[in-house]
Amino acid sequence: MLNNITLGQYYPLKSVVHALDPRVKILLLIAYIAGVFIVPDLTGFVLVVLYLALACKLSKLPFRLLIKGLKPLRFILIFTCILNLFFTGGETPLLNLGFATLTREGLINAVRYSLRLIFLVLGSSLLTLTTAPVTLTDGLERLLSPLKVLHFPAHEMAMMMTIALRFIPTLLEEADKIMKAQSARGADFESGRLFERAKAMVPLLVPLFVSAFRRAGDLAMAMEARCYHGGEGRTRLHILKVEKRDWIAILITAVFIALVILEPHFVPWHL
Amino acid sequence: MQLTFDHVTHTYQPGSPFQATAIRDISLTIGSGEFTALIGHTGSGKSTLAQHMNALLSPTEGRVLLDGRDINEKGVSKRDVRQRIGLVFQYAETQLFEETVAKDVAFGPKNLGLSPEETDTRVREALERVGLSYADIAERSPFELSGGQMRRVAIAGVIAMRPEMLVLDEPAAGLDPLGRQEIMALVQGFHRAGTTVVMISHSMDDVAETARRIIVMDQGKLTMDGTPEAIFADAERLVELDLDVPQTCRMSLELRRTWPDFPMCVRADEAYEALLTRLKGGKAHA
Ligand SMILES: Nc1ncnc2c1ncn2[C@@H]1O[C@H](COP(=O)(O)OP(=O)(O)O)[C@@H](O)[C@H]1O
Ligand SMILES: [Mg+2]
Repeated sequence: MLNNITLGQYYPLKSVVHALDPRVKILLLIAYIAGVFIVPDLTGFVLVVLYLALACKLSKLPFRLLIKGLKPLRFILIFTCILNLFFTGGETPLLNLGFATLTREGLINAVRYSLRLIFLVLGSSLLTLTTAPVTLTDGLERLLSPLKVLHFPAHEMAMMMTIALRFIPTLLEEADKIMKAQSARGADFESGRLFERAKAMVPLLVPLFVSAFRRAGDLAMAMEARCYHGGEGRTRLHILKVEKRDWIAILITAVFIALVILEPHFVPWHL
Repeated sequence: MQLTFDHVTHTYQPGSPFQATAIRDISLTIGSGEFTALIGHTGSGKSTLAQHMNALLSPTEGRVLLDGRDINEKGVSKRDVRQRIGLVFQYAETQLFEETVAKDVAFGPKNLGLSPEETDTRVREALERVGLSYADIAERSPFELSGGQMRRVAIAGVIAMRPEMLVLDEPAAGLDPLGRQEIMALVQGFHRAGTTVVMISHSMDDVAETARRIIVMDQGKLTMDGTPEAIFADAERLVELDLDVPQTCRMSLELRRTWPDFPMCVRADEAYEALLTRLKGGKAHA
């Protein structure tokens, strides 16, 4: 009943993009997002498309998966377009609708902001689709660990995120099982008005909480039994190492950023 | 009542990288009054098969028919099917949620739209049938009971719907030997009272004592189907499938070293009779 929900949308495949060091991937994503934001004109988005296409091709992901990530964005996109189209102002009117004027500047802004949003989400999806959630938090922990000097609990944060992520599938499975068990007793989770539906969730939520608390207790006990005492002096099972492919990815991204910055200098027109 | 599987295949999450075919091309028929045991290695698809019996899962291919009618058809009420075919999940006590035992057991009957009086009758009857005293337990919280009691309350929650057929997924899993025996006795009681029973089990000994028919699953396929005598006679095959034979059968095989014609006994009382006959016959010599 719940198997169409994919949380932590990781799509396991064997590809160079999947194999990149998560720290490098996170930093590259930040660089890419910066790139998307400093693109000076519409022509510059050609570079973004090329960069993203290359990454997508190398990751072997089916293209429709990336596109699917845009679906929740559609209302924001429409909203952005309308706002920019009619409220930008500017000198070159294209169309007078009476209540508002459509200008050349408005049109360009609408396209630019929509593209920015789209490429932002596409890039982030590429990271979450190619990186297992636990690997991602591992990378995040390492990136944030310099902040430990400032007493920022990088390890504890990462551990909490890892545990939460680890238990999402388990809890979903559990929820699925309890839902089925209650359905076997004639429960109906699908029809009824809002209030009835909310009430119908009680037989699902109570057992789910009971089991989540029991699991949390068990886990805490198991961790203590194995002498877990926080991040201090802890060695790691998976040692992250920056390899050749990571350097190549960094190089490609650096070239991409450089081209984005230099683009107005070698393209004669400005759109 | 007759439940028929017609070439049923089920694939979880088709089209995703996590796609897994749990059962393949299953055809079988379960008739009124049968006591069928479903055995197989972990992951062989027993639970998936069981969840097809009351339309909790629908086949990716094939059909499940109740008295000749496809239970996943549009016009068929799922609630009716689930009332007629009760399913007790593995570790059923995890489904308890109400403040009191009585309210929890009443959940099923209420969903069927029964009157408060009828619901109350059903609750009393169901608790009685699982061997719990209504007076002692009805107003207690299900969460303060022992593991075995919780399991029985959960079973009562399904029994209260008065199903014609009861499907139990490893009803004795995780209980101590005494709790195990009590649950097995309950299940046998339901069968004797006229309920058709399908029981998934890991314990060959439990199956040997109770079932009249055994279905063996292996990697999603139905590989053996027959009487306990026939199934356990093929001990090598079971061992190949990583399954065991009951202790009674193992003992029978051992005794054949002394009496080559010693019968293959499945139930303990049979073994006792056979052994007694041999000993009285005085032919024993070791
Ligand atoms: N909800 C699910 N999603 C994906 N795969 C599942 C799900 N439930 C079971 N499976 C898989 O289907 C197979 C059969 O499982 P199951 O029917 O539970 O077997 P059994 O009850 O015999 O142990 C297993 O390989 C299991 O991993
Ligand atoms: Mg199972």
